[in-house]
Amino acid sequence: MEVLIQTLVSGLLIGGIYALIGIGMSLIMGVMKIINLAHGQLMMVAMYITYVLFEALGLDPYFSLFIAMPCLFVLGALIQKFLLNPLLKVDSILPENQVLMTVGVGMVLTEVIRFIFHSDYKSVKTSYSSSAIYMGEISFNVPMVAAFGLALVLTAALFFFLLKTDLGKSVRATAQNTDAALLMGINAQWITVLTYGLGSALVAAAGTLLLPIYYLFPDIGGPFTLKAFVITMLGGMGSTVGAILGGIVLGIAESLGATYISMMLKDAVAMVIFLLVLIFLPGGLKTLTKV
Amino acid sequence: MKKTLGLLACLAAIVGLLAPGVSAQETIKVGIILPLTGAQAAFGEIEKNSFEMALEEINAAGGIKGKKLELIFEDDTGKPEVARSAAEKLINKDKVVMLGGGYGSSETFAIAGVAQQSRMPFLVNTGSADKITEQKWDYVFRLNPPASDYPGGLESFLTEVVKPKTAAILYEDSNFGTSSSQSFEETCERLGIKVLVKEGYSKGGVDFKPLLVKVKQANPDLIYMISYVMDAALLMNQSMELRLMPKLFVGGGAGFTMPEFQKNAGKAANMVFSATLWYQTLPYPGAKEYFDKYVKKHGKETEYHGAEAHAAAVVIADTLKRAKSLSPDDLRQALSETDVKTVFGPVKFTAYEKMTNQNKLPTYLVQWIDGKLELVWPKDVASKPYVFPIDWEKIWK
Repeated sequence: MEVLIQTLVSGLLIGGIYALIGIGMSLIMGVMKIINLAHGQLMMVAMYITYVLFEALGLDPYFSLFIAMPCLFVLGALIQKFLLNPLLKVDSILPENQVLMTVGVGMVLTEVIRFIFHSDYKSVKTSYSSSAIYMGEISFNVPMVAAFGLALVLTAALFFFLLKTDLGKSVRATAQNTDAALLMGINAQWITVLTYGLGSALVAAAGTLLLPIYYLFPDIGGPFTLKAFVITMLGGMGSTVGAILGGIVLGIAESLGATYISMMLKDAVAMVIFLLVLIFLPGGLKTLTKV
Repeated sequence: MKKTLGLLACLAAIVGLLAPGVSAQETIKVGIILPLTGAQAAFGEIEKNSFEMALEEINAAGGIKGKKLELIFEDDTGKPEVARSAAEKLINKDKVVMLGGGYGSSETFAIAGVAQQSRMPFLVNTGSADKITEQKWDYVFRLNPPASDYPGGLESFLTEVVKPKTAAILYEDSNFGTSSSQSFEETCERLGIKVLVKEGYSKGGVDFKPLLVKVKQANPDLIYMISYVMDAALLMNQSMELRLMPKLFVGGGAGFTMPEFQKNAGKAANMVFSATLWYQTLPYPGAKEYFDKYVKKHGKETEYHGAEAHAAAVVIADTLKRAKSLSPDDLRQALSETDVKTVFGPVKFTAYEKMTNQNKLPTYLVQWIDGKLELVWPKDVASKPYVFPIDWEKIWK
């Protein structure tokens, strides 16, 4: 029983971080109808920002959130404005050339970081990195719990923004129907820039929160892009609520797989769930909710 | 026209400048392939530094037959396919006379394949999966003990001191990890230790807790782990968090002896044992001097990987000195007749078990005691008495 509970707790906590990674991609997917294949790489850049702040100024990773998130917002907005939006005007062989551009952006980010920092592993070791609170025999890793809590706060803030503010409503309107939104006087181009920035800032938060418990190197982005993609699909493309569910389902599935099957097959377990959802719930988990 | 003439003049000038430089100093080139970037870069760095230190000493002592030795380093980035092309480049483009290096087992195996095919002598200094020297490849020589010998030093410690009844084995599903885990399982069988859990994992995991919680439930006396440095630190950190308390944790070399392991795992590294192949206080000529010189030069401690690299450079220089000519076959002949003392111990290539061209050396056990790596077994060479039994509650407080 203890084993099961500890496994579920670990899965849930890591699932919170996964949700934060996935939610940004879902947002971008919803508004622009493209998969952002530079998502993990943007997270990697945020992790390096946090790492540099920690090494140079001794800044705690949690304070770095206030620097890494705005930095990535600006970076994301610039990518959208100068690299992705101009592509809309160009006739191309493939309609998905924006997606191809994100692949390129991801590669450039990885190589630039590799050029600056080399590809050695770096880590941020804080005093609380391996501290834990105990409930009976079950341990809760403190940075993981903090990350989970902050993920909830950020998600709540995002929902407030999307549901209650004019700007948020414009984002949702653009996601529902770009042409109609344009007719209603919404500057759709500007909304895409804002959305990409927001998505980047959210994944930056995930990276910064992950750093005290993990390590980083330039190639860390790829596997997380894949995770974000799986979460977005699991959740139902473009659904933010679905992305939260998707993240948590993925985290728990990976944990259960590692405990009861084999840690070598952890990724395989996630992929099997992914396939099952695609087969039996083609609209993703969001079809189970009413949002 | 004027432009072309100008260009030609420039070219001529450059060629004129370069030409004397080429012929003035003739060197003997040896290619060294190491992971200088990528996941295994920490190991590559320690080995490259050691190769360079040995190279300085060799050239200061007059080089080889009046010529200077030159080491050409290539980066395998921790990927077998890159290692393969690096070996091909060194052989075909740089025209090296022999190859050295080889860190990861998968990369080393790839290089060894190329070396054997191209009939180019290759001295392995770290890649340790058994199969590298089990292929009857006559151009491939290995200076370090194979993975199956790593727990040799641990074995007598277990039978004489710990006497565990049960064990768990965790390993990275790489070439080295799989090979080491199999041989440790056989060791356990021989010693009558029951293996309760034997689990592999693929590198890059964030959360090892599901795996560790399973181990905790099995409650083994001994946990044996084969991991590279970052995973080693995560495993120990999360074991501490889960209050996983076996009688002892033992690392199977690789990540567990590195200074970076201690830096990342902090107090979770304390009292962890590891198999090792070398320690600076061992009675090998030059071992202590090499260690002190390394610390002085690089401000960091070195460990068995560095000693292997230093020894490899010495063996390469010795081979080149003794060889009748620099042809691959004469070099291979000279390499097979090697009998030299290095900081890593005596080097002599023999055939034993299924292996050929293999150097046989004893292995040891080290323990992290209050932030310092100490040699604790066998007793007669120990730098500090071992700490056992271990009170984890007190150490992890």
